[in-house]
Amino acid sequence: MNPKSYLAYTLGYQLFGKSFLSWQRHSDERKLRAIRPAPDDPLNPPLVGTARMKELMSRHYLEGRYANGVRKVAWVTSGAPIEVLRALDFFLIYPENHAALCGARRHAEGLAVEAENAGYSRDICSYARTDIGAALSGRTPMGKLPRPDLLVCCTNICQTVLYWYRVLAAHFGVPLYVVDTPFLYEKVADHQLDYVLEQIEGLIPVAEKVAGRRVSRGRLQEIMEQGKDCAELWLEIMDRAQHRPSPITAFDGFINMGPIVDLRGEPETFAFYKELLREIDRRIEQGVGAIRDERKRVLWDNLPVWYKIGKLSRHLGAKGVNVIVSTYTYAWGELAPMMDASDPMRSAARVYLHPILNRSTGDKLRSMREMVARFQLDGAILHSDRSCKPYSLGQIDQRDNLANDLGVPAVLLEADHNDPRVYSDEQADARLDAFVETMEAA
Amino acid sequence: MLTIPTRAEVVRQVRERGERVAAVLPIHYPRALLRAHGFQPMEVWGPPSVSVVEGNAHFQAYTCGIVRNATSFLLQGGLDAADVIVIPHTCDALQGMASVLKDFIEPRQPVATIYLPRAARSADRGFLQAELHRLAQQLAEISGRSPSGGELMAAIEREEEADRELGALAEHRSEIDLGDRDYFTLLRAREFLPAESFIELARSAPRGRGPDRGVPLMISGIVPEPMDLFDHINEMGAHVVADDLACCSRRLYRPGSASDPFERMADALLGGPLDPTRGSPILERARAVASRMAQCGAKGLLVYDVKFCEPELFDVPLLRKHLTEAGLSMLHVEFDMTGSIAQQTLTRIEAFVEMLQ
Amino acid sequence: MGEAKWIGIDAGSTTCKAVAVDAAGDLIASRIEPAHPVIEDQAARLVDELRAEAGAGGEVPVVATGYGRKLVRGATRNITEITCHARGVFRALKQPGMLVDIGGQDTKVIVIGPGGRAVDFMMNDKCAAGTGRFLEHSAARLSVAIEDLGPRALGAVGEESISSTCTVFAESEIISLVARGAKVDAILLGLHRSLISRVVAMIHSVGLRSPLMLSGGVARNLAARAMLEQATGQKLHLPEHPQLMGAYGAALVGLESGADR
Repeated sequence: MNPKSYLAYTLGYQLFGKSFLSWQRHSDERKLRAIRPAPDDPLNPPLVGTARMKELMSRHYLEGRYANGVRKVAWVTSGAPIEVLRALDFFLIYPENHAALCGARRHAEGLAVEAENAGYSRDICSYARTDIGAALSGRTPMGKLPRPDLLVCCTNICQTVLYWYRVLAAHFGVPLYVVDTPFLYEKVADHQLDYVLEQIEGLIPVAEKVAGRRVSRGRLQEIMEQGKDCAELWLEIMDRAQHRPSPITAFDGFINMGPIVDLRGEPETFAFYKELLREIDRRIEQGVGAIRDERKRVLWDNLPVWYKIGKLSRHLGAKGVNVIVSTYTYAWGELAPMMDASDPMRSAARVYLHPILNRSTGDKLRSMREMVARFQLDGAILHSDRSCKPYSLGQIDQRDNLANDLGVPAVLLEADHNDPRVYSDEQADARLDAFVETMEAA
Repeated sequence: MLTIPTRAEVVRQVRERGERVAAVLPIHYPRALLRAHGFQPMEVWGPPSVSVVEGNAHFQAYTCGIVRNATSFLLQGGLDAADVIVIPHTCDALQGMASVLKDFIEPRQPVATIYLPRAARSADRGFLQAELHRLAQQLAEISGRSPSGGELMAAIEREEEADRELGALAEHRSEIDLGDRDYFTLLRAREFLPAESFIELARSAPRGRGPDRGVPLMISGIVPEPMDLFDHINEMGAHVVADDLACCSRRLYRPGSASDPFERMADALLGGPLDPTRGSPILERARAVASRMAQCGAKGLLVYDVKFCEPELFDVPLLRKHLTEAGLSMLHVEFDMTGSIAQQTLTRIEAFVEMLQ
Repeated sequence: MGEAKWIGIDAGSTTCKAVAVDAAGDLIASRIEPAHPVIEDQAARLVDELRAEAGAGGEVPVVATGYGRKLVRGATRNITEITCHARGVFRALKQPGMLVDIGGQDTKVIVIGPGGRAVDFMMNDKCAAGTGRFLEHSAARLSVAIEDLGPRALGAVGEESISSTCTVFAESEIISLVARGAKVDAILLGLHRSLISRVVAMIHSVGLRSPLMLSGGVARNLAARAMLEQATGQKLHLPEHPQLMGAYGAALVGLESGADR
């Protein structure tokens, strides 16, 4: 540990930063409570708990500014087996989440241009372009990202991360550990489980070497338990959308999912979601929905369009459409039942093989059909995301099946999760309006 | 001039031998395993000149042309001669294709997949061997043929010999007396000829002084379609002295030494030349490309990519940077998987050649 | 002024240009016309006109460039626009550096080395964003004459941001902006910004170099020039005839080849 870095860390983050962010949260909460929406606003007042989410995420990135020299830093993909890293007290950066924050704050385009200027094609995933742009330019709305000591990439969400992390490995000159997860065209087989297990086990000595210490199996088990608790709680929140009217929207899920991705298993994450659940339950008791007049309940498939969340929720809300649940936010909770702290490594192998993005297109359709039944949905919006091939390929057949076999109106919305330049408000609105008309006629 | 049998002729010969045909999508797969189970692999890299109406009905416009064209080709009956469709897990696009085929399109033929690990650690070796065993079982169920260890080994050795011949052709381009188009047609015959026929063909290639006209280029990418590309390059005053194509030189597998056939096949697949789809480190790959260019005197690298090919695109900036530092030039162009090359693309290649003259 | 020694024809997508040079390589006669669908006839006519104007009565050899270069009958050689622009601008401005040529269908960024050779280049992909066509198309949608585009954008009060770089998407964005009562001039300014951002990305992917030179039809557009200077922090150097540089370069390549008459 570097004494100078440690001093800066203590002063900037521990003493000043945390208190400032806590003060800011109180102030945000007051503002959120005071919101009286305009009479023509289709949405009810936002969740006050969001202020806590903002505090957690800001605190996380603030700590990141001071982390080098104090804690070992790993950059990881959203589906990486982080239990080992957490047990070794690594500070974790999730470039995908960072890119999404940039997208939601309208900074993604400028950063993507930095990557494009360096020769990265516009046909490359916009998350990757945003982050590579941030790495090349050193710019980020979060102030500064800590340099990684280790990169861990798990292919259970796409192959894109493999290519992307090789660029990061070349840029930072640090080791890259790949956890390769065979795609599940069918039910999982033993050799696939064994393979992933062996790789997660193999991560231990690599991470220990970087961390300069040994991992404790007891701590690993504890972290697994905390992860399971958080995932179960998140799932419970998502499932509250079964109420009529739904107290939450999928957009609330997108906005509040940062901690379940970046800080999963942290006690504060658990406390935050506990409080959020209480607030949602109060809405249910009072019969308050997330939108004022919920006439149609809709599923969202794929990543959000980060730079259009507010616009889309208002546009649809004004037509009485509540997008209440998404396959994407659900992915962070649905595997909770697979987590088994008594056998942490083998259950981790199973969990990390099963994210929706690593399951077949037919299985994804089954998940969507189940959601349609359980949440009593009237329609589905499938975001055809130019930047996410594994999520999007198969959607044409999935949509046809929902619309024709199940009789649930479904629409393919052409967009991109982080690049506003390929989005057309006019085309999107026209398509969505036609979709709403189909639902109304159904 | 070489006489290369057509695909239709090969299908007929295969049938006469009482064997079956496997349609195989790019890039890496165990040829010997298919042969030993009675399947002649016939690879599908597009093809370029098909209507993509059927493919577009299943895959978005931003999907790789190989996937959209191959799907169209299948639905138009182009793969009717095949008894099984084998789709290696090469990338997200082929993953999507295999999954949609299995879950939605459900072609008449069974669809077999194979997952290729992205590293070559002991865990990866072990897994790939198990995966090959699984595929073997699936193939045996389809053909009713379970080869003995000896039969499998014989098939492996035959493929290794064919790879050696392919390697010799690639290594000694300057001594092969064929124009670029004929030369690459010969290399690509490996995509559908039985190993023994390819060996014979490769040995009969005219030796002497190869074409030595104009600016020497090396070509990189997945597949050089349409093959008119080589005619254009020659007309522009350049010729191709080496390749880093997925369909050709990226499949120069080294012969193995293990006595267990599955271990030997896995080692060959994992130990092949550097390839972005296999997760090869970029700088290592860039150094290998630069040294190959130096070795064969190529002045420029033409990176000829099928549109939307992410594994290729991520390497482009660092590859370019490395080559520039080594005093070499690189041009990156993209093509749609259609029967003709856009005029604008040809202009860029021509300007590149003029620049190197 | 000497007599014509070589003629260069640049058969572009929007305009067809012809230039005659004398033995010293000076530009002595030129033509510029909207491109005709039958390029062969138009090129032949322009060559005849230049021969009549500046030729010595006999044959004057022709080098063709531009996307229709292979359709020019009787041309001794055809060379790509990239090589020709580099040569033409190098001769006109007498310096190596970086040339940006924004044409109707293509935008090119060319690194010109000593002697006027192209040593590196980048060209837009198939999509029309980042080319003159993007402005032309949008101008038509707003019923603004092409020559008024620049001055009106420069005179705009405020700017409407155009997020789409795609020509088709931008068009629907323009329609909705107009419907919302946005000022046409402010939209024009946003369109220029969108175009220039695409061009700047190409400049950076080759690596910005000084001096920065501009040619092509869009070089006449004052707003595009000002914005490009602002975005790159470089002063732009323009040849006297920015639209003729391809044809001029073609004629020069012919002259340098020495194989005249």
